[in-house]
Amino acid sequence: MNMHAQMHTAAEKALLDAYDQRMADLPGDSAVAVKRDNAIEMLKAGLPTKRIEAWHYTDLRRLLTSVPDFEPAGNAKALDPLIEGSAVLAILNGQTTGHLNNVEGVTVERVFEKLQNGSLAPALEPDGNDDAIGALNTAFVSDGWHVTVADGTELTTPLELQDTQDGGQVHLGLPVHIGNSVKATIVERHAGKRPGLTSCVTNLVVGDDSEVLWLIVQEQPEAATHLAQFNAWIGKNARLTVFVMNSGGKLVRQEIRVITKGEGSDFQLRGINLLAGETHTDVTMVLDHAVPNTTSRELIRNIVTGRAHGVFQGRINVHQIAQKTDAKMACNTLLLSDDGEFSTKPELEIFADDVACGHGATVTEIDKNHLFYLMARGIDEKTARGLLVKAFLAEVIEELEVESVVEALESRLDAWFATHG
Amino acid sequence: MPAVQETIDTVRKIDVDQYKYGFETEIETDKAPKGLDEDIIRFISAKKNEPDWMLQWRLEAFRRWLTLEEPSWARVEYPKIDFQDLHYYAAPKNQTGPRSLDEVDPELLKVYEKLGIPLREQEILAGVQKPNGEAEASDNVYASGRVAVDAVFDSVSVVTTFKEELAKAGVIFCSISEAIREHPELVKKYLGSVVPTTDNFYATLNSAVFTDGSFVFVPKGVRCPMELSTYFRINEKNTGQFERTLIIAEEGAYVSYLEGCTAPQRDENQLHAAVVELIALDDAEIKYSTVQNWYPGDAQGKGGIYNFVTKRGDCRGHRSKISWTQVETGSAITWKYPSCILRGDDSRGEFYSIAVSNGYQQIDSGTKMIHLGKNTSSRIISKGIAAGFSQNTYRGQVTAHRKATNARNFTNCDSLLIGDQCGAHTVPYIEAKNATAKFEHEATTSKISEDQKFYVMQRGIPEEEAIALIVNGFVKEVIQELPMEFAVEAQKLIGISLEGSVG
Repeated sequence: MNMHAQMHTAAEKALLDAYDQRMADLPGDSAVAVKRDNAIEMLKAGLPTKRIEAWHYTDLRRLLTSVPDFEPAGNAKALDPLIEGSAVLAILNGQTTGHLNNVEGVTVERVFEKLQNGSLAPALEPDGNDDAIGALNTAFVSDGWHVTVADGTELTTPLELQDTQDGGQVHLGLPVHIGNSVKATIVERHAGKRPGLTSCVTNLVVGDDSEVLWLIVQEQPEAATHLAQFNAWIGKNARLTVFVMNSGGKLVRQEIRVITKGEGSDFQLRGINLLAGETHTDVTMVLDHAVPNTTSRELIRNIVTGRAHGVFQGRINVHQIAQKTDAKMACNTLLLSDDGEFSTKPELEIFADDVACGHGATVTEIDKNHLFYLMARGIDEKTARGLLVKAFLAEVIEELEVESVVEALESRLDAWFATHG
Repeated sequence: MPAVQETIDTVRKIDVDQYKYGFETEIETDKAPKGLDEDIIRFISAKKNEPDWMLQWRLEAFRRWLTLEEPSWARVEYPKIDFQDLHYYAAPKNQTGPRSLDEVDPELLKVYEKLGIPLREQEILAGVQKPNGEAEASDNVYASGRVAVDAVFDSVSVVTTFKEELAKAGVIFCSISEAIREHPELVKKYLGSVVPTTDNFYATLNSAVFTDGSFVFVPKGVRCPMELSTYFRINEKNTGQFERTLIIAEEGAYVSYLEGCTAPQRDENQLHAAVVELIALDDAEIKYSTVQNWYPGDAQGKGGIYNFVTKRGDCRGHRSKISWTQVETGSAITWKYPSCILRGDDSRGEFYSIAVSNGYQQIDSGTKMIHLGKNTSSRIISKGIAAGFSQNTYRGQVTAHRKATNARNFTNCDSLLIGDQCGAHTVPYIEAKNATAKFEHEATTSKISEDQKFYVMQRGIPEEEAIALIVNGFVKEVIQELPMEFAVEAQKLIGISLEGSVG
């Protein structure tokens, strides 16, 4: 973090003040309190600036201009699940509500309680000095769902972790343990009525031979601040597919940090960023191929309209022992407005010699030839543009193949176009 | 396969252990005391008989430098440099400045002969047989034809050849010190206009203490009649070399410039922090090629040059073009990003690079293409080859600003790993602020595939030669961009130290 920050910004000050005021109310035993204090020391050094390489395009210190108060009594309401028939675990204004009705093989606990009894203390550990989201979340985390899926479970319906909020500040933890030979689809959803500030840290452990599809759907109100971190460890011969869709928020940073822990594991990332208005949306992925014979593919598609600034940073680290790694990353962006901006930094960091790694990145406007092709068939320009943009995005969704998932995501895409088209 | 065998031999020659330019020359030198303060800068300026404005410019840079911190973002590691433990000025005695060849210390001429750089232009022109001791010069561009050379030895330019002939065409080619005295109006106008004194830690240091370098001015409409070249040699112990090069191509002018460098083999690390500024006005074209072969350190990573260089070209005029080509095989640490500012409409920037690292070398190099004008285009081709225990990073930035309509970039950076103890990294920064920009970037990292190797070897070619062939194919795109004579030398350099990497 920025060690030169002598003067705190208004937002930094608000965060530090909030900690002083709420310290006594935050859940946790003494071990948790120590972790919180350490984290707040990190924040005291200042939020990261663009001089910190991991935050090169998201100068959090400059961009985070205000921090709302805590409003635990806000009037948030649960939403219908994204995919019909899903079992919903709701979090309203930062508090877990309701319970899970008889889903075989799945047990849930409240993070609030696990903080109180100290069992989550070891997991509260920001990853070095540049991990501002980890530090912020550690300092304030107060609830969330802790999910355990037993070995051999095949979930027939998706599980939805649903965070809705009505203003204020919300700091969530979502620790999820997937056992061996599990098949599951899990939705992590963030939405809200009035804009607030959210930090959310998801820690997902995928057991050997399991297959997990994890969807992150972020539809916060236009003025919201959303700082999220998704950490995953993938076991032997397991497959994890993460799909991220960002379509809301003013200041959004979604970190995705994945480590292939077991040989034969596979990681897939698909992402869609729908950027409008004045949003600053940053998706930052760090993928560690830490063992031999693992594979990964990442495909991110972005559209930028209005005065939005989009960012994709993707770093693939191939460790020295990770021979036979096969990793490919692509990021394609359509810049649709003169005032929009897109920055991308696709990095490869490779220490093993027997690997095939590659990345590609493009930033363009809509292909004039494609547009002409459609317009020559009597389609007006606006419709033609819409068709091309949608096709550009739908390609990513269709790759997910599960019909109910594809339908649900496409309907969210349509909903966004209906308001922003 | 004599050609391939030749490549292999060259490879052996340039393996870190066999650096053939590692000799040291006993030449009496005139040195500034160790350390850096305003008095040292006054000393340097006085040695160079500089006008007062130049001294003030240096001092201003020095004061600025004191406020700066050494950058740490590059992917290189080295012990902290003690900037007070260096000589900032070292010059062969009895050298007050460039002069005619007859007056140059014969010892110095011998050094350059040994390096394969004949400074005796007349003899070459007359086709006289080369003196003995230049037998190895045949694989060297400098021997092969009419190339004007500015020879820089430690802190001073010892001689510049072909000056008269170039002057006939209106081209000014001299040392920067001479230019400051003889052409102050040009220097004042352009020096620091591309890399300002405030630019970065090393560039600012260079602005304060630069001792020599080359100056090229090609007037309107002139196509420079020959290749220009500078050969840098660090000889003295514990010295830093800080050269400054300024090249200006006026409207419609063309110039091709080559740069080469070597240093003796020493156990201590030596610092080299250069600044190169290129300015291309309307319709002008500058082609800048480097073969960087500073001493890379020994097989254990001891010694070698720290090469911290700021190179930047400004396509100031419409339809101007700047092209950087570099072959990087030397230096313990390389920190270097030759860049293009595409300011003029329809201007074009190109960057072709081959970076070969072996032993314990660390390279963090790449380019910046900054699109400001309309319809500007740029192309980046970078090939990194890492072997031994080396770390090889490509770091490049492509930016299109708001008004840069129809900016176009194509980037391709490939890395090849030889052995499992080295690392190859790619860090591109792509920033588009204009909807009509079209940027494409692709990067790959791989090792030589068994299929490729098998294909070549089943034709009876031994494994090592097969690898050399494949590597040469890998870098072909860049080699093609080098001036012809240079390409031959570079191709051999690239044969790289495949020795010991097989299997």
